[in-house]
Amino acid sequence: MIEFLKKHYEIVEKAPRLYKLQIESDKLVEILSSVSINSNFITLSQIACTDWIEDEVFALNYILTTKERDKNLMVEVRISRVHCSLPTLLNLYPQAQVMERDLHEMYGINFRGNDTLYDFALENWNEIPPLRREFDTLAYVNEHFDFRIGREDNKDVKAEVKRRKAQAKESKDGK
Amino acid sequence: MPENTQEGFIDQQKVLDNEEYSIKNTQSIIQKAVDWFRARSMFVLAYGTGCGAIEMPPIFTSRYDIERLGVVGVATPRQADILIVSGYCSYKTLKRVIRSYEQMNEPKYVIGLGSCTINGGMYWDSYNTIKKLDEYLPVDMYINGCMPRPEALIEGFVKLQDNIRNAKSEAGYIQYRENNAFYRANQEKIFGKNTTPTFEENFAGMNQ
Ligand code: SF4
Repeated sequence: MIEFLKKHYEIVEKAPRLYKLQIESDKLVEILSSVSINSNFITLSQIACTDWIEDEVFALNYILTTKERDKNLMVEVRISRVHCSLPTLLNLYPQAQVMERDLHEMYGINFRGNDTLYDFALENWNEIPPLRREFDTLAYVNEHFDFRIGREDNKDVKAEVKRRKAQAKESKDGK
Repeated sequence: MPENTQEGFIDQQKVLDNEEYSIKNTQSIIQKAVDWFRARSMFVLAYGTGCGAIEMPPIFTSRYDIERLGVVGVATPRQADILIVSGYCSYKTLKRVIRSYEQMNEPKYVIGLGSCTINGGMYWDSYNTIKKLDEYLPVDMYINGCMPRPEALIEGFVKLQDNIRNAKSEAGYIQYRENNAFYRANQEKIFGKNTTPTFEENFAGMNQ
């Protein structure tokens, strides 16, 4: 099956059972429907989004799984962070509804044709979508909550943990 | 008393624990009897808001069998006396928790289970979870730990029973009734006007 796809598309083998295909966003529906007809990558198991704020893009990975659940195909599209809009995949995969709704809430991506893009896990959220990297979580928390007394002695222990680990390693190596 | 320092906080605790200051001495005999019975029959609405909820099944089942202390799980808020908020509370959950609490009949008590309810726990810098449960609901007993062992929860129950039996401090539901404006203001701070109906709205039409 994957051989068939490899003939038509530039598929990269990332790991023994993981393949990747990078496409343009305007070909998304066309290519995914062709993949689901011509191969046994029939389930959409996840839509993962990464915010590449440096490159001004969102990278969305549509992760497809075979019927036997033994191989995964990641179909990546990159869209601009500013006018982020994509066609919905509702007609191909009904489960995309809730995934798209989640992405809309967390990144503000508009999925054309999905009419359930309203509040999901965040109710009455008035800020910018919280998983966009320009959203400053700490500033938001400091502005909206005050902490209980006693929290301030909660020090950052990362450096100390590192030092102790190095020390333990040293004494182990010395033996 | 300097309440907003660690020492002030400890001093306050001492006052609460002091026999002289407790309202025990003013209790009538009937009230004492009622409180005794009340402490021996706690109907629990276990609201699994966070990961701490996983410690509740062992408590109610044969391993720890908390029914021997008179603690029983119930299905709906209207049957319950105790609300356990087990862990972090997102805004969305909190709204449901408040609704459930307001549906419960008095006398009612709240147990905050886990560090997340006390000071945000490991979700202290999360944009979507509350940091202090007692700003929104009156908490009668906090149990710290992440997550608390079932033994800790049992100890919390025993302490709460002790508090109810001896009327050590004013129960939370009375505070909620009397200081309702404080709690509502905090709730509205995060929900906007889109919060639960007020007491007046709840009881409007009751007398008609
Ligand atoms: S205190 Fe720990 S176990 Fe409890 S809800 Fe928070 S993170 Fe989870």
